[in-house]
Amino acid sequence: MAHVVLKDLVKTYGSFKAVNDVSLTVNDGEFVALVGPSGCGKTTTLNLVAGLIPITSGEIVIGDRVVNDLDPKDRDIAMVFQNYALYPQKSVYKNLAFPLQMRKLPREAIDKKVRDAARVLDMTELLERKPRELSGGQQQRVALGRALVRDPAVFLMDEPLSNLDAKLRVQMRSEIKRFHQDLKATIIYVTHDQLEAVTMADRMAVMNGGYLQQYDSPAQVFAHPVNMFVASFVGSPAMSLVPLQASTANGNTVLTGAEGWQFELSPHNAQKVASAKTKKVVLGARHSTIKLHKSAVPASVPAKAYTVEPTGDVTFVQALLSGAIVNISVSPNVAVAPDEQIWLEFDQERMHLFDGETEMALKVN
Amino acid sequence: MSMIVATAPRDQTRRRMHVDGWRWAGRIFLVFMLLYTALPMIWMLITSIKSGFAAMQFPPQWWPDEPTLASYKKLLDPQNSVGRDFLRFFWNSLLVATATTILSVIVAVPAAYAFSRFTFPGRNLLFFAVLLRNMFPAVIFLVPLFILMRAIGLVNTHGSLVLTYLTFGLPLAIWLLKGFYDNIPVQLEQAARIDGATRFQAFILIVMPLSTPGIIATAIYSFIGAWNEYIYAYTFLSKNDQLTLPVGIQRFFSENTTDFPGLMAASFMMSVPVVVLFLVLQRYFVRALTEGAVKH
Repeated sequence: MAHVVLKDLVKTYGSFKAVNDVSLTVNDGEFVALVGPSGCGKTTTLNLVAGLIPITSGEIVIGDRVVNDLDPKDRDIAMVFQNYALYPQKSVYKNLAFPLQMRKLPREAIDKKVRDAARVLDMTELLERKPRELSGGQQQRVALGRALVRDPAVFLMDEPLSNLDAKLRVQMRSEIKRFHQDLKATIIYVTHDQLEAVTMADRMAVMNGGYLQQYDSPAQVFAHPVNMFVASFVGSPAMSLVPLQASTANGNTVLTGAEGWQFELSPHNAQKVASAKTKKVVLGARHSTIKLHKSAVPASVPAKAYTVEPTGDVTFVQALLSGAIVNISVSPNVAVAPDEQIWLEFDQERMHLFDGETEMALKVN
Repeated sequence: MSMIVATAPRDQTRRRMHVDGWRWAGRIFLVFMLLYTALPMIWMLITSIKSGFAAMQFPPQWWPDEPTLASYKKLLDPQNSVGRDFLRFFWNSLLVATATTILSVIVAVPAAYAFSRFTFPGRNLLFFAVLLRNMFPAVIFLVPLFILMRAIGLVNTHGSLVLTYLTFGLPLAIWLLKGFYDNIPVQLEQAARIDGATRFQAFILIVMPLSTPGIIATAIYSFIGAWNEYIYAYTFLSKNDQLTLPVGIQRFFSENTTDFPGLMAASFMMSVPVVVLFLVLQRYFVRALTEGAVKH
C-alpha cells in the first residue's frame, strides 16, 4: 500500500480546462471519494492518476515515486471500471489471471492467487464461466477480484456501483467498505452519488467545474460546507438555500425575506454577516434543523406549504420562502396540507450563512 | 369496461391477419429473390455436366440425358493445354487475391484502429478522403492508373493488380473495421494497460481477438473483390501466363465454337473458393463476441 499525492494537477483539452489545479493527499490505507456532478472532472482526475491520459501540468506521486511519465502498467495500480471492462473472450479464471500473467508470475503462483481471490469473493464456482454468463453483481465481483488479485499499491474505482440495481448497490457498498477495512487498502473512489461518498469514504473530495471545492471527512463536509455548491450537493434532501437581505437596526442584525418578514440573528451569526462585503446573504439550513409551526411563534417566519411527501419514518414538507424551496422534515403525525400557511423556525446554532455574491460560507473573522 | 373486453379479441384477430398478409407477401418476395439468384447458378451447374452437343440443344435438356464430368476432368488435367491454362489462371487469381487480402488486413487493421481510437490533426479530413475514393466509379481510374503503372514499370506484373485492388478494397475495409473498433469499449484496453500490458499488447491480446469477426469479414470482402475483378486485370495484363481467372475464362469463348460445358465448369470452380470461404467463416459474421463484455 502507498500514499498518493496530487500536486497542482491540470488537464486541458484545447481551451477547455477539465481539471484545474487539483491538489490533494491520500494517506496510506485511506479511502478517498472523489465526488461531484457529471462533468466535474472527477473521472478525468482518476484517469490522470491511472496514467490513461497524459497530464497537462502538475505532479502525481504514488508511494515515493513521481509517476507523471510512467505507463499505467508501471504505476502499481488496479482499477475497477464503471462497466467492469471484463475481457469478454476470457473465462473468469483467465480474467483474474491476466494481470498476473502480464507480470510473468509462474503458473502455480498464478493459480494459487486466483483461487485465493475467488475464495475471498465467494465465486469459486464461477471460475470457468464467461463474463456474459454472469449477473451484474457477479460481474462486479469479478472486476473487484481482478483488481485485488495483484495486491496493488492503490485501488482506483470509477463509479463501480452505478450499473447495479438499488438493492445490490447497497449490498456491494458495504462489501467494498468491508474490503477496504480488511485489506487496509488505499482507495480512490469516483462517484456522482454523494451518499456513497458519505457512507464509505474516510475523506471526500467534492469537485465542481474541474475545481476541488472541499476535501475533508464526510462529517466535516456535512457540518461545515465551504460554499453553497458543497452545501447543496452533500446531504439528501439537499440543504435549503434562501436568499435574504441583511440589515442592521439599533445594534441588531436582521435578515429580511422577499415577503417582507424579518428575523434577528444571534450575536455569533451577526458577526458572520458583518464579515461579508455584501448585504446579500444566503441562509442555508438542513431539513432537520428547521422547526415547522402551525401558528406564529417568536422568531419564526411565515411560509406556505408547497408539497408534502410522506416517506413512512418521516414526512418531508417543501415550503415556499423568499422565492426558494425549503425542505423541512416533520414527524409523520403532523398533518400539513399543500398551500397551508405555516411558520418556520431556524436553528441559529446549526444554520449556515453564505455570501450572496461569492457563494462562500461566511466565517467569523 | 365490458365493451373493451368484447372488442379486444376481434381487434387482435384483425391485426394478426394484417400481419400475416404482409408476412406472406414477404415470403413470396423472398422466394422470387431466391429463384432469381439461385437459378442461374443451378443452370451453370447443370450445363457444366452436359456434353458439348447437349448444351446446345433446343428445347434444352432440363437434366442431361448423359451427365458427364468430362469438362471438369479436362480443366483439372495438367497434361492438356486447356487444363494447364486453367490451373495457371486459377493459381494467378489465388496469388493476387491472397496477396491483396493479406496486405489489406495488414494496412486496414492499424489504420482503422487509429481512426477509431486516436484524435490527430486532419483525422476527419483523412477519413473522408479515404471514403471519397469510393464515390467514383472504378472505370474513371482505369487510364490514370494504367499510365501510373507504366511509369513505375508495373504493367504486366501481378503487383499492379494487387496495388490497384488495395486502392479499392482498403477504404471500405478501413471503414468496416473502424465500426468494429468503435464498438469495442475503450475501457477494455485501459483495463489491460493497468493490468500490466503495453498499449501494443493490449491491442494484440485483448482488442484483436474481439475484432476477429471484423477482420475476417474485411478479409473476405477484399478476397472476393480481388478474385472477381475483371476490367483492370484485362487492361494491365497481356501475357497469357499471367492472366487471372475472370480474364482467362473469357478464352473459352472463341470465334467458332464456344465450349459451354467447359465454360460453365470453369465458372463453377471459380465460385467454389468464395462459397467455401463464406461457409467456413460465416459464423464469425454472426458471432456477437462482445456480448456481456460491458453492461450497457
